[in-house]
Amino acid sequence: MAFSEDIVRLCERFGLTELPDEGPVVERKDVVAFAHALKDELGFFFFVYCVATHYPADEKTEQPDRTLVTYRVRRLPIPGVRPTETFPFRLWVPTGDTTPSLTSVWAGADWQEREQFDLVGTVFEGHPDLRRLMMPEDWPGHPLRREYAIETQHFPWR
Amino acid sequence: MTVGTTYETPRAGERKGEVRTVNVGGMRVPYHLTLLERPDPYLDIDSYDPEADLMALNMGPQHPSTHGVLRVKLYLDGETCIKAVPYLGYLHRGVEKLCEKLTYVQITPIVDKNDYVSPMMNELAINMAFEALLKVEVPPRALFIRTVCAEIQRVASHLLWLGTFGLDVGGGIGGGATLFMHTFREREMCLDLFENLTGCRFHYNTHQVGGNRHDIPEGWDQKVKRALGHIASRVDEYEAFVENPIFKARTIGVGVIDPILAMELGVCGPILRASGIDFDLRRDAPYAAYDKVEINVPVETAGDAYARYLVRVREMRESIRIALTLLDGVPEGPISALKPVKGPTNVKPKPGEAYVSIESPRGELGTYVISDGSPNPYRCKLRPPSLHAAALLPYLAPGSMVSDIVATLGSLDFILGEVDR
Amino acid sequence: MMEGGLLFGNPWLHGLIMGVIVLSGAMGVAAYAVWFERKFAARMQNRPGPTEVGYGGLLQPIADLLKLLQKEHLIPRSADRPLFNLAPVLVVIAPLATLAVIPFGPGLVGTDPSIGLLFALAISSLMVIPVWMAGWASNNKYALLGAMRAAAQAISYEIPLLLAAMVPIVLTGSFRVGDIVAAQEGGRWFAFWPPGPGFFAFLLFFFASLAESNRIPFDIPEAESELVAGVTTEYSGMIFGLIYLAEYLHTFIASALAALLFLGGWQGPGPDGIHWMLLKSLLVFAVIFWIRWSWLRYRSDQLMAMCWKIFLPLGLVLVMASAIWVQLR
Repeated sequence: MAFSEDIVRLCERFGLTELPDEGPVVERKDVVAFAHALKDELGFFFFVYCVATHYPADEKTEQPDRTLVTYRVRRLPIPGVRPTETFPFRLWVPTGDTTPSLTSVWAGADWQEREQFDLVGTVFEGHPDLRRLMMPEDWPGHPLRREYAIETQHFPWR
Repeated sequence: MTVGTTYETPRAGERKGEVRTVNVGGMRVPYHLTLLERPDPYLDIDSYDPEADLMALNMGPQHPSTHGVLRVKLYLDGETCIKAVPYLGYLHRGVEKLCEKLTYVQITPIVDKNDYVSPMMNELAINMAFEALLKVEVPPRALFIRTVCAEIQRVASHLLWLGTFGLDVGGGIGGGATLFMHTFREREMCLDLFENLTGCRFHYNTHQVGGNRHDIPEGWDQKVKRALGHIASRVDEYEAFVENPIFKARTIGVGVIDPILAMELGVCGPILRASGIDFDLRRDAPYAAYDKVEINVPVETAGDAYARYLVRVREMRESIRIALTLLDGVPEGPISALKPVKGPTNVKPKPGEAYVSIESPRGELGTYVISDGSPNPYRCKLRPPSLHAAALLPYLAPGSMVSDIVATLGSLDFILGEVDR
Repeated sequence: MMEGGLLFGNPWLHGLIMGVIVLSGAMGVAAYAVWFERKFAARMQNRPGPTEVGYGGLLQPIADLLKLLQKEHLIPRSADRPLFNLAPVLVVIAPLATLAVIPFGPGLVGTDPSIGLLFALAISSLMVIPVWMAGWASNNKYALLGAMRAAAQAISYEIPLLLAAMVPIVLTGSFRVGDIVAAQEGGRWFAFWPPGPGFFAFLLFFFASLAESNRIPFDIPEAESELVAGVTTEYSGMIFGLIYLAEYLHTFIASALAALLFLGGWQGPGPDGIHWMLLKSLLVFAVIFWIRWSWLRYRSDQLMAMCWKIFLPLGLVLVMASAIWVQLR
């Protein structure tokens, strides 16, 4: 699956030459401008999802403890002009660091980022209302982190 | 350019049947919907007019019309809402964590319970993602069965929506209950069809990685034709029952949705189509056997609850037509590409990731899977359309009365099992 | 009618005996109205309805009553106890007091004063005060909203109701219910004679009393999909049963009044008597249920707009029209 030409051109403008199917890895400082360009110039109005995936520190590859945040946006078809197309882009966020929130670009990022903050613990900077979405407010830990094991941790509902 | 039809002159100066559209990023968007004000969902209630005597009303989690266990905190000025804050998570079951724990084979019955109104769709979405990860070709017979099942499920889901929407605007002790009982009678027919096919009435577990588990039994196609023909005639009756001045007074102009906002929030499906955006994944990004059949997408331009009702009713008819068309062309052949799985850890995709989305009755139901080569997914994100539809609430509630909020809630048709997962 | 309208010579004795008969009769009718409505609704919805208790579920109202009596009467800690307990009792008193002046047959009436109709409408509209008490004393926001809506609705719809009732009063020239019925002798029911104002007044009276007794499409005060149960949210057990009973009594009284004022009361083809009165009022009653189980609900502001913009002007026009008809006759 290759991306359309205009997407490739936009990515080049942001210095993204590698475009795997999983989407380019965007620098955290660029991401808001990149998102604005996607929405305003290319018509990616439709927000599909925001997913954070926790990768614990790996001794073999010497990678630190970090989180992969994936956004996916879609543009809707225009009859006779273009088909519908989704475009993912990713960010690496070291644990303890923050990533800019895209709520100002797509309103739908609001709850999705809250959910990822709740379940994975990624902090989105500039989010207007960063509270837990699913779990109770006083819940310890973030369930979708790899160190959060189902067997060992069990908190009765209070 | 005209998009769909309209039932009443939405704004002065426009004739019936014709809606002015404007160009937004290449798309044609109904002009009158772009004029809507977008309320501030982060309104600071403390700095709101101190003279106003506000009342905070907790609607839910045990409230008859929050469709399960949604809790919405409403700040009311009289009966007019100033701000609405939804609180989710009362039905959170940690499905995504469970998906990381279970193997690819074991996940299907778990996700069945997400959107408990259309389980067929959940299975389809997640298994299509696993198949994309494994790069398996599904045999055409399985594809056809899947598509027919999906369409029957869509009919069942919309029937349930129509009934519960009647409860919302008409009350459980009144005309709404009558509508509810009748739509449930027809929904039972759909469930009977599934029982005949899979042995289960509801949580089927009939899709598996690489194909289907159950082949079409003897005489099933005749039963489907009879049942769907019956339902098609009943849909006309519902229309006659529902379309009275009271229903129109309660739904026209209620919960009008700006399509641009809806897209930014990720809302799609009937809600987006009722706001004048002609987008349907079945037609625009065909999956399963949808490329074998012509699909007419119903579009309305008013963007209110009544438009959503119209879109869903037309979709029911369209789904019946699609299911009947496809049923005639089910090819012979195997129903699964993979051999029957002996152990739960037999399915092991290579490291990689996949995102697959289908058009569920509520919109784009997607599954994003990351595999690390082990028998269970590394990360499995379910993209529920209901969560995005529920996110519309803080934008729709301000400025409307409690009765309208209930009607809007009902017309958005979100399923809390899917919202909270 | 009997001499002086009294079946038993002494007015006190008459009042006592008739009171017992009418009240117990009305209670029975209200109880069996519940059974009837449940069967009726069930038939509309492809269900059998109550079948288990007695033949065709005929003992269901008694079983329900026993169940309600056995239930615990919960009072929320934050509720205003005396008001909370007093309100349901007062809610029942209003329709029961109205029954005193409603004749069910020639002479079958507690008392038939010269201002009977005025008394009936005045007392039945008093119900808004205990309903508001119940809503306030529950200390529950849904109950408060429901009571607010109930008060607004009852006060607004009182006016078209009175205006509709004015039409037979103007045509008869008397407030006495017995006189109004007598004026419709010979099949000249006010709903059809004089042609025009009477029929519209009947419709107006019917819809206004639907709103008065909080029935769909005007059941906004208890709108269970919005306000959970309105004023009855916090009530349980028999004290809830009292409010429930009052609602049914209110509906029954509204249909009885409609039968008396517009459908000729106990008169009919063949022998006059209570059977015609019961038949007509139960017919109106059934139409109310029919509407209830097939229509949806209006929003409160639409309801108010309908009252002030349609019903009130219509009522004024009808009163004027009937006055002109009386003058020209």
